[in-house]
Amino acid sequence: MRVLTGLTSPFPRPEPLVQASRDFDRGRVSAERVDALYRSTEEEVDALERRIGLGVRTAGYVRWPDLYRPIAERWDGFAVGPLTRWLETNTFFRQPILLAPPVRVPGAFASGLPAPLRAAPAGARVLLPGPYSLARLLDNRSGETDAAVVHRLGRLLGEEAAALANDGFSEFLLPDPLLVRDPPEGPLAEATVAAYRAVQAGVGAGRATAWTYGGDARPALPLLDRLHPTVVGIDLTETEPDALPAAPRPGPVGFGVLDSRTTLAEEPEEIARIAHDAARRRGATEVLLGPAGPLDLLPWGPAARKAEQLARVPNARSGGPA
Amino acid sequence: MTAALFPAQEIGSLAKPRWQLLGQRGAPLDPGAAEEFRGDEARLHFADDLAGAREALLGPGAPPDRADRARDLGAEFAIRFLEAAGLDRVYDGEARRIEMYEYPIRQMLGFEFQGHVRSFDAKYYLKAAVVDAVGLAAPYHVDEFDFVRAHARAEPKLPITGPYTLADWSYNQYYLARQPGWKGRGARRSAQREFVVDVARRAIRPTLRALVDRGCRVIQIDEPAAGTHPDEAELVVEGFNAATEGLDAEFSMHICYSDYRALLPTLLEAKRCRQWAWEFANRDAPGHDGYAVLRALREYGDDRSVGLGVVDVHRDAVEPPEVVAERIGRAARYLGDPGRLWVNPDCGLRTRSLPVARAKLEALVAGAELARAEFENPRR
Repeated sequence: MRVLTGLTSPFPRPEPLVQASRDFDRGRVSAERVDALYRSTEEEVDALERRIGLGVRTAGYVRWPDLYRPIAERWDGFAVGPLTRWLETNTFFRQPILLAPPVRVPGAFASGLPAPLRAAPAGARVLLPGPYSLARLLDNRSGETDAAVVHRLGRLLGEEAAALANDGFSEFLLPDPLLVRDPPEGPLAEATVAAYRAVQAGVGAGRATAWTYGGDARPALPLLDRLHPTVVGIDLTETEPDALPAAPRPGPVGFGVLDSRTTLAEEPEEIARIAHDAARRRGATEVLLGPAGPLDLLPWGPAARKAEQLARVPNARSGGPA
Repeated sequence: MTAALFPAQEIGSLAKPRWQLLGQRGAPLDPGAAEEFRGDEARLHFADDLAGAREALLGPGAPPDRADRARDLGAEFAIRFLEAAGLDRVYDGEARRIEMYEYPIRQMLGFEFQGHVRSFDAKYYLKAAVVDAVGLAAPYHVDEFDFVRAHARAEPKLPITGPYTLADWSYNQYYLARQPGWKGRGARRSAQREFVVDVARRAIRPTLRALVDRGCRVIQIDEPAAGTHPDEAELVVEGFNAATEGLDAEFSMHICYSDYRALLPTLLEAKRCRQWAWEFANRDAPGHDGYAVLRALREYGDDRSVGLGVVDVHRDAVEPPEVVAERIGRAARYLGDPGRLWVNPDCGLRTRSLPVARAKLEALVAGAELARAEFENPRR
C-alpha cells in the first residue's frame, strides 16, 4: 500500500519572522525586510520538506494570515470582517463577509501561493479552503442561501483548481473541519456533494482531498463517502481508529495522525501501526498521512519535530503500511 | 456582601499610564509624561510612603530600582483610580502584570516555553509545554497583595488565573506521554484532567493558601478558557474545587465571552464559588437581551451572587447611567433578588484608554445609584 506524507496546513513562522512581522507592525523594519524573510522562510520549509522526505511539499504557506484571507482579500464579493475564534483554539481568523455572490478573480489566488511551489509545481500541494466550512464560517450577506453559497464556492474553487492544474499542480487539499464538527444536512449536504464534484472536475487527473479534523468522522461518513473520488481525510486523534467502518468502495484515504494541540511528538512506528489497521478497515488502496489540525498551532521547533516523525512513517518497521 | 444594593467592583486589568511604562523600562520621563504623573498625583493623592518611589521616577540620574518603583506607583495609581471612581472593591489594575498566562507559568515548575504561536495576523503569544509534574517555585501575587492591602481604602479583591485556563493555554506533553497507547480522545481527556488537577493542587492552591494567610478575603479566579470547550466544563469545576479546597475566602469565578448556558448546570458544582462574574454588556443590544441568560441560574435554583458586567470593554462609547441602571433592573428581575447583584465592567478595562475607562467606571457607579434609588423607592 502506498503511503504519501505531507503537511495539511500553514506551517508556523520561525522566531526571526515572528520578530520581524511584529517589528513591521510597529514601524521598526521595512516591508522589504519582512518580505525577504517570508521568501527565505518559504524556501526553508520547502528545503525541510525535501530533506526529511515528505511525499508532497507545501513551502509552509507562511504568508497566509489565515486560511480564508487569500480568497476574502482577492476575490470579488468578499470583505474582511472581525476577528473570530478559530474553532476551539486560542487563535483567531478574520471572518469573511460575503456581500454579494462571490466571483473568482483569475490569477489572484495563484499569485499568493508560495514562490517555491509556483517555481516547481510537481509534487507541490495546493491548499484551498474547504467550501462547506468557508460557507458556514463567513457572514453571509449576499442574499443567497448558505446552500447556494456552498454550491457556488465549489464551482469557483473548481475553476481555480483547473487553472492551477493547467500550471502543473496536481495535488489539492481542502481543509474542511466543519464537515465532521457540524455535518451538513438536507440541501446543505447536497450542495456540499455538488461542490466537491465541481472541485474534482477542476482537478481533472489530479487529486482533491477534503481534509476533516477536530471531530469524530464516523457520524459524517455516509456523507463523506459520497464525495468520492475526492479523498477524505479523517482525524485519527478524534476518531476511534478501531471503530472505522469499511468504505463503500476501495480507494485512497487520508488520516490525520499528528496532534497539533500537544508538543508530544508521535512515534512513527505507532502511527504506522494505527494507520495500517485503520486503512485495512476502510479497504484503502493508498494512504495520505498528515497533521490532523493546523500545525501552526505549534511553534516552529515542535512542528518541525513532528514533521520529521511523520516523514519516517513510511519506513517505520512495525508491520505498518511501509 | 455590603448592605447597600448593587455594590461596585473591579474585574480585571487597567491600561498602564505612560509614565509607568517609561519608568518600567528604566527610562527617564519626558516632560509630557512627567506632567501627566504630576496631574495624576495631584488628583488621586498618592500615599506618603511612596515619596521615595516618586523621587526614583522623577529625580535625576538612573536609579537601579526605577522600574520597581514605577510599578509601585502604577499600582498606587490604579488603586486610587478605582477608588476615585467609587468602587467598593478594588485591586491594583494588575499594574505589575504584563498578561495573565506567562507570569504564573514562570512561577511554576515542570513547564518549558516552546516559542511563539500566532494568535492572529502578526500577533503572537508565548506558549509553554508541561514537560514534568507540575510544581510551584513559590507562591506568587503575595507581595502584590501586601501592597494593595497596605494602600487600599476600599476592600481588596485579588484576581488570579485559574487552573483550567493555565492548562488549556499550555501544551500537555508530560501527562499525555503517561497515557498508554494511541493518544486519542480518551487518552487526551484523562491526561488533561490530571494536568488541570495538578495545576490546581500543586500550584494554585498553595498560592491561594499563602494569600489567605496574608489576609486576602476576596479572590476572583479567572477562567476565560472555560467557554472554549464547553464539553470540558467538568474540568473547570474540578480544577476550581481542587484549588480552593479547605480554604476560607470569598471566591468568585470570572468567565467572559462564552455561551454560559452551555456550561450549565455543570458549572454550578463549583462548591466554594460564591459569585459568578460574567460579561453581559457586550452581548446586550437592541433586539438581543444580553442578560436573559440569568434566568438559567434561577431555573437551576442557584442562589449565588452575580458580578454583573454592565459596561462593554470593547467600545469607547460610554454607557449612560440610565442604560446601566436599566440593565441592573433587568438582571435583578431575572434573578428574582436584587440583593445578589454586584456590578462591574464586563472584563478588564485595559482595552480602553484611561480617560474612557474612568468615564465608564463613573457611569457604572452612577447607574448603580440610579438603580438603587429605583429599588429602594419604586415608582408606582
